[in-house]
Amino acid sequence: MIELRNVTKKFGSLTAVDDITLTVPKGEFFGFLGPNGAGKTTTIKMMAGLFAPTSGTIAIGGYDVIKNPLDAKMCTSYVPDQPFLYDKLTGREFLYFIGGLYRMGKKAIAQKIEELIGHFEIGDWVDKRTEDYSQGMKQRVTIAAALVHEPKVVIIDEPMIGLDPRSAKIMRETLRKKVSEGVSIFMSTHSLPIAEELCDRIGFIKDGRLVFIGTKNELQTYKQKYDGKFESVFLELTK
Amino acid sequence: MGIFFHILKYKFIAFVKATFEPKVVTVVRGLGSLLVFGGFAVIAYLFSLELTKFVLDQTRIGLFLFHRFISMLLFVFFMSVNLGNIIVSYATLYKSSEVGYLLTKPVPYTQIFVLKFLDNFLYSSTTLFLVALMVLLGYGTYFGHPWYLLLGVMVFVLVPFMFLSACIAVLVLMSVVKVASKWGFRKVMGGLAVLYLGIVVLFFQFTSPIKQVQEVSALGGNVDAYFRGLESGFLSYLPNNWVSDVLFFLARGETNLALLSAVQLLMFTLVAFMIVLFVADRFYFRSWLATFEFQARSNTVESGRKIKLFDFRKTSLLSPQMESLLKKEYFQFFREASQWIHLAVMVVLVGVFAISVGNLNPTLRVTEIQTLTYLVLYAFGGFLSCSLALRFVFPAISLEGQAFWSQLSAPVDMRKVYVVKFVMGFLLVLLLALLVAIFSNDPFVRLSERRPLLMYFGVFSAFWVSVTLVALNLGLGGYFANYQEKNPIRVASSQGATLTFLVSLVYLFVLVSVVIVPLSQYFQSLFLFFPFDMQSIVVPGTLVGILSAALTGFALVIGFRSLARDF
Repeated sequence: MIELRNVTKKFGSLTAVDDITLTVPKGEFFGFLGPNGAGKTTTIKMMAGLFAPTSGTIAIGGYDVIKNPLDAKMCTSYVPDQPFLYDKLTGREFLYFIGGLYRMGKKAIAQKIEELIGHFEIGDWVDKRTEDYSQGMKQRVTIAAALVHEPKVVIIDEPMIGLDPRSAKIMRETLRKKVSEGVSIFMSTHSLPIAEELCDRIGFIKDGRLVFIGTKNELQTYKQKYDGKFESVFLELTK
Repeated sequence: MGIFFHILKYKFIAFVKATFEPKVVTVVRGLGSLLVFGGFAVIAYLFSLELTKFVLDQTRIGLFLFHRFISMLLFVFFMSVNLGNIIVSYATLYKSSEVGYLLTKPVPYTQIFVLKFLDNFLYSSTTLFLVALMVLLGYGTYFGHPWYLLLGVMVFVLVPFMFLSACIAVLVLMSVVKVASKWGFRKVMGGLAVLYLGIVVLFFQFTSPIKQVQEVSALGGNVDAYFRGLESGFLSYLPNNWVSDVLFFLARGETNLALLSAVQLLMFTLVAFMIVLFVADRFYFRSWLATFEFQARSNTVESGRKIKLFDFRKTSLLSPQMESLLKKEYFQFFREASQWIHLAVMVVLVGVFAISVGNLNPTLRVTEIQTLTYLVLYAFGGFLSCSLALRFVFPAISLEGQAFWSQLSAPVDMRKVYVVKFVMGFLLVLLLALLVAIFSNDPFVRLSERRPLLMYFGVFSAFWVSVTLVALNLGLGGYFANYQEKNPIRVASSQGATLTFLVSLVYLFVLVSVVIVPLSQYFQSLFLFFPFDMQSIVVPGTLVGILSAALTGFALVIGFRSLARDF
């Protein structure tokens, strides 16, 4: 579902992402880890169509994000690291807005919104303008917006920031459920326990280069080389 | 005061680093800006000089009347700066995240207030300073004033004059916020709009230019003398009068009297600033807290649940994407106080202008006078469109802000986003431009015994100019987009916006220049029965058409391309 081939992104003389190649098949939960400034968000932004790669290709659902951006975006959902919303719209209006952008009918949007409000426990807040939302409430609405149109691919940048433990739990369960329904998820995170709990495969990025990619089992084997802790593997790989 | 200067120092460093980045793009942009600003400054200087020459040498109205007219213009200027500051200050003093951050630090409220007040005043008035200085230089050159005298007038008279206007603006604003927390924001703003409108109407009731000309003519004698008997009581105590008095006495070489008026103005400004500090010390923080009260009152679950006009839940005949984009634009605009208030103010002012102009009754069958009158009205209409486009169209892309990710990552053709913004901006600018065009052409249609040619020209021109200005502002607004800035007025007074405004004014200048000859021939055909060849419109019309099309195309392309930039 997601295919990155020799993807490089340069900002002037700085190479933020350096020749990354990876594939995420249908129904896989892929975790993307790395220290601050390693190139995680840049990679994700290229996949979401917010950055153009300097070289290489990215395909989502078989569509090249540069050549066929609309088809690629139609089957994708993106959740940014900061949940920026339109201040003057209510949560409900924002969800309708997103549904409309994905060309959904009113009835389908209304039905989905009611379901998501309940699922993410947004409650009455959905009818208040987002300018008064807390960070966590904004995050819930952003994630709900990502699921309005039943995407085949979900790209999430640091999904747990700002969420309280209960919301984080709902979030984890929702994402796992989506994977079991055949949705591919590409998630960047700093949280090692979350990556270990949720992901089928994990990639480590350092200075823009992919330094490790492997399944959970492969990672377990790798962990034994150190003290059996995921943290030690992370520290070693990103040293 | 140590903390104050400490913050000021870092704000200055941040400003310098952002403005003078050692990058090729920044240098090229800077040189481009310098070129346009320089060109504009020269045009403003020459325009002011020629206008002063024309009024004093050709019409011979005399120094007294000339400075009374300057006083009227200064009053309009004062009110514009005042209204602009009320709107901008609300965003700067009450909505800025920087204020929220500084309030958590051990910085006295008054110092935060002064920082933001000065920031606001200097940021939004930079272009006005340039215009004022160049106009003053042009005016002063006519009278042979030395440059240092004019610089002194700028620093000690015009800047305090604008500062006084800004001081009154924040005093009004703090009162509005305080009262609005009890009565509701919309009600108070409505009352304020009526009050300001009343002030403007009353001012012009008491200082009718025609009445003044008649009174001076009736008195006869030396038209350059000071007609103290013609002063209308309290109006002589208005600051615009003090400024025009400074200029008048300097023109007559009466430096002592000029100094007296300047000192009056300076003292008054100083007192106003002291009052502002006093009020801010007691009420700024309290009024800052009050803004949350009326925000909470307007943002309730109940109001969110109500089915509104253009509600997202309502179905429409439009495609889902187009409907979503249009409704989002509508709600974003009409829920942002600084947007709808500014629009309401401009609509009211345009209405007042249109009706006043529509009531004109030009009877003099003199080609030069009618050509000049028509051109002044035509240029003013164009200037209005430039201002509207700058204020409401230029910020359109920047105001998507950080939430723009939601559209950029969705399967939306960016051409749709661009078209929606263009159409909404165009309708707004066109409607007001048409209003002005119809009302300002009507007296001339009456003068020409109901021949509709000028009306057709006015309407066609309003349409074409609106297309060009909206394209220019949307395109360059996209090119200079700043997604971090939430305040539309700050976006509309940024460096890129100023550059766009100057390009718009140059376009307007070309337009007015091209119209002069055929217009004058048309009036000659009316008054002197010379034959009027329609061909005389074709060549300049084609040239303007090509220029407009080129500008429109160029701006739209670079604006659209800017949407494909990394976000």
